[in-house]
Amino acid sequence: MTPTAVQAVIAGLERAGVTLASYLPDSLLKPLYPALDAHPGIRTVPCTNEGEGAAICGGVFLSGKRAVLCMENSGLRAAAEPLARMGLGSGIPVVMIMSYRGELGENNWWAVPHGITMEPMLAALRIPYRVVREEAGIEQAVVDAYEWSYSAYQHSAVVLGGSTVR
Amino acid sequence: MSGSMSTPTSSPTSNSGPVVRPPASAMTRYSAMEALAALLTDELVVLSLGGAVDEWYTAAPHLREASLFQQQLGCVTPQALGLALGLPHRRVVSLDTDGGLLFNLGVLATLGNEQPGNLLVVVWDNERYQSIGGPRTHTSSGTVDLAAIARGAGVVHASTVRDVEAFAAACAAGLADQAAPHVVVAKVDTSPEGHAAAGHPVVRRKHSDGREDTYRFVRHVEATEGVTIMGPSEHN
Repeated sequence: MTPTAVQAVIAGLERAGVTLASYLPDSLLKPLYPALDAHPGIRTVPCTNEGEGAAICGGVFLSGKRAVLCMENSGLRAAAEPLARMGLGSGIPVVMIMSYRGELGENNWWAVPHGITMEPMLAALRIPYRVVREEAGIEQAVVDAYEWSYSAYQHSAVVLGGSTVR
Repeated sequence: MSGSMSTPTSSPTSNSGPVVRPPASAMTRYSAMEALAALLTDELVVLSLGGAVDEWYTAAPHLREASLFQQQLGCVTPQALGLALGLPHRRVVSLDTDGGLLFNLGVLATLGNEQPGNLLVVVWDNERYQSIGGPRTHTSSGTVDLAAIARGAGVVHASTVRDVEAFAAACAAGLADQAAPHVVVAKVDTSPEGHAAAGHPVVRRKHSDGREDTYRFVRHVEATEGVTIMGPSEHN
């Protein structure tokens, strides 16, 4: 992930009014996490699994603040249970930014399941998403995710793939 | 810390056969809820699934608008943490359960690292999955000490209590402390027999679903915090 891609994510979060980020760090978004840690207007809360991070973000929504969950796309599987309960059961939205592990071009065998399962998982959970593969689209995708989730009271996701993370 | 350390009161039992075990303690959950409700005024409460939902709805009628009723294992204390971080000036109470906390023990490590001073976590530990009829949880063996796990994770103010006086004292200490989170593991009797023997009232069922509960809770937060969370659309 290039420094300019990191800055595009940060710019989108700033425009969306995000003040808390929970994350479980991964390799593709690795430079993003210290950038979030260093941001003076964003409190970071590392979590022990992505389901916990999703629930933390749900709690932040209930406070009137805005949060983001950052993770590898494999975290979607770990977070599926709380996401289903909060989104489909209670109308508590979580906005996620995740890396697209396992898309075409992936050269790690262990990441293949992440690519195969991510989009069906998002569809099963009724979570709209945008796959962004060019830096120019990152900032607006983040802003749009918040606009939608705070109208629908359902989760949304920005998936960073292609040249944005490789 | 208040209360006594955990002492096994029941023996490990087989997963097969009828679920007949002694209560986790002589303290009914309802009596503990009444004691906690008496300590609360403008706090926000997040609580877990099962019988605790209807009992809290009945035992703490003045907190119905301020309570978010959830139906999920492993999410209650993380949600309460997010709420506490979002409203650092507001006291937040998590009413978790043994089954719920065991589902995500990692949150204790997160509490240990984040140290939210405005968060009190109560764990109703009846040593069973009551909502599905009472199969035992891991705490029923007497070898699993949730308060000790919490302390090991960095939540130094964590204790196990078995009577209402010790429970109320531990909760009062947690509510008064602005510097660090507290975890109170309340060993409780949630049996219908114990509830009736204690003379507690019939528990009213809460007639609302998750979405209605969210709207009601959010409107309470909006009104008491002066913020808009679920606001109007751009156009009508």
